[in-house]
Amino acid sequence: MTAAPAVAAAPRLELVGGGVERRGRWLLRGVDLVVEPATLISVVGPNGAGKSTLLRLLSGAWRLTEGRALLGGFDLAALPRRQAARRVAYVPQTVRPTFEFTVREFVTLGRYPHESRLFGTRSADREWIDRCLEDTDVLALAERRVTTLSGGELQRVLMARCLATEAEVLLLDEPTSNLDLAHGLDLLGLARNLACEGRSVVLVLHDLNAAARFADRVAVLDAGALVAEGAPAEVLNPDLLRRVFNVLAVPLAGSAAPVFDFEPLP
Amino acid sequence: MRVAFGGYRAGFWWYMAAGLTLLLAFAGIGLFRGSVPLDGSDVLAVLARHLLPGEHGLADPRVDAIVWSLRAPRVVVAAMVGGCLALAGAQMQGLFRNPLASPGIVGTSTGAATGAVFALTFGLAGSFLLAAPLFAVAGALLSLLIVTRIATRDGYTPVTTLLLAGVALNALLAAVNSWLIARSWEQYEAARRIAYWMMGGVTDRGWVHAWMLLPGMVIGCAIAVWFARDLDLLLEGEEVAASLGVDIERAKRAVLWSAAILTGSAVAVSGVVGFVGLVVPHLVRLLLGPVHRRLLPAAFLTGAWFVVGADLLARTVAAPQEVFLGVVTAFVGAPFFLFLLVRHEGEVAVSR
Repeated sequence: MTAAPAVAAAPRLELVGGGVERRGRWLLRGVDLVVEPATLISVVGPNGAGKSTLLRLLSGAWRLTEGRALLGGFDLAALPRRQAARRVAYVPQTVRPTFEFTVREFVTLGRYPHESRLFGTRSADREWIDRCLEDTDVLALAERRVTTLSGGELQRVLMARCLATEAEVLLLDEPTSNLDLAHGLDLLGLARNLACEGRSVVLVLHDLNAAARFADRVAVLDAGALVAEGAPAEVLNPDLLRRVFNVLAVPLAGSAAPVFDFEPLP
Repeated sequence: MRVAFGGYRAGFWWYMAAGLTLLLAFAGIGLFRGSVPLDGSDVLAVLARHLLPGEHGLADPRVDAIVWSLRAPRVVVAAMVGGCLALAGAQMQGLFRNPLASPGIVGTSTGAATGAVFALTFGLAGSFLLAAPLFAVAGALLSLLIVTRIATRDGYTPVTTLLLAGVALNALLAAVNSWLIARSWEQYEAARRIAYWMMGGVTDRGWVHAWMLLPGMVIGCAIAVWFARDLDLLLEGEEVAASLGVDIERAKRAVLWSAAILTGSAVAVSGVVGFVGLVVPHLVRLLLGPVHRRLLPAAFLTGAWFVVGADLLARTVAAPQEVFLGVVTAFVGAPFFLFLLVRHEGEVAVSR
């Protein structure tokens, strides 16, 4: 995979011995993870394993209790927020917005790290916003209020806002949870393309088969610890899935990716 | 607001032009009409003499005094007070992500009142004209300092803690005010002045008050404009704002101090004028949407014409008696707010 010339190679983002404690409980501890440029990593794990926490740490939104998060070798916490935001974008799980921005205004919030404080967005910014709206298939909704959108529409708008930042590292928390089949596949394809162009993408996914198909690497979290990380074929096997997810995984024949049929344990 | 105005959003520049027209119209009425009937051409002559360059004939000193020393500063101070309160209200509603927030929600306007009441009861105001306003500004800033100190842990200030600390301080300071007033009950003059001041108004405000308000207004507005965009992002929650590049603690502090300066300065010259800072920003958000680069200037202008208009009513509705300005703004503002609440139910009290 070579980086397209238009996009600078993403900086390497890594977590070294990362851990975070909240109210006396370790949500995540001892995590070593490297997000290489031009790679799509899928983070999987059962509920409460620490997937969202991992993304928050990688984004710099939360401070680490122990360990360090490094962006291109520099401590993420020491970087000015504005600079970090130009390089790393984070999309949290969908939350209903309460204020009545139009879709365009909402997506333009993503331009914050590039905007001038006094003059705001320029026409070049506006063209870029149009492209982001188009790439996520929400251009037709541009003048709608975000409070009136369906869950899936909102999710695509959030993705557009993430693209608007032009960040090289994208952290997406369950970006397909509300999407219909076609839009879900579109979004995963878009993430795949972005990675091929040289960006790095970290996706939290619940659909293990989608993770296996679209991701270069899979990181498996369980109870606040990283239990496995590697290429899907190396990591995803019935034994691990049984241990971590408590399911019986039956490999499906006829696919290059390690995909399974899942059944409850007897 | 999809139901409220059929999804229609007023154009920003049209809205500003309409607001400016209203402001000038109300200001004009305020200058030409009053308890002493004056000839329109005399009023114009006075205004020309003060506002236009070059030599002008001498005006009737009596007319000059009424128009230039009584009516004009009153209109100007009313506009400034309204603008400051509405702007501070818009900031607080954005910061707390709650349309029910008012400029004094963190204790600043009650703190300003405490400062002024203190100066008035201990007779400082009698010996020194600016004592009450200066104490009021100091009271507002001190209140914010206390509230932020209480709410901050490890350099982090959660807005919910800030809000609760503000509510507590408001209650405490209100009690202090009552106590100070009760203490001064035997001194009839001091008690009367406090009562007048507490009810809010711009009666007998002179140019000195306008000049006094000016620095706070300029500083407060400058900070507000500089951090307007940060408020847009804070509406989406601190985590999102931080991930998109906002230095959230710095932005929160800047917005809080800006609003405290604006509120303190306004309360210092006019007393407690209620409801402007609550209703005006809310109405403007309904019409123009939540983007603060438009919302803040529009709220300032709307607050300005609203208070100048309310002061006109205060002067004329029961003439020759004057009604208190704070009474008028509450009388107009509260029913209007209730109207919005009833018509659009949950939509007004958004924050979930």
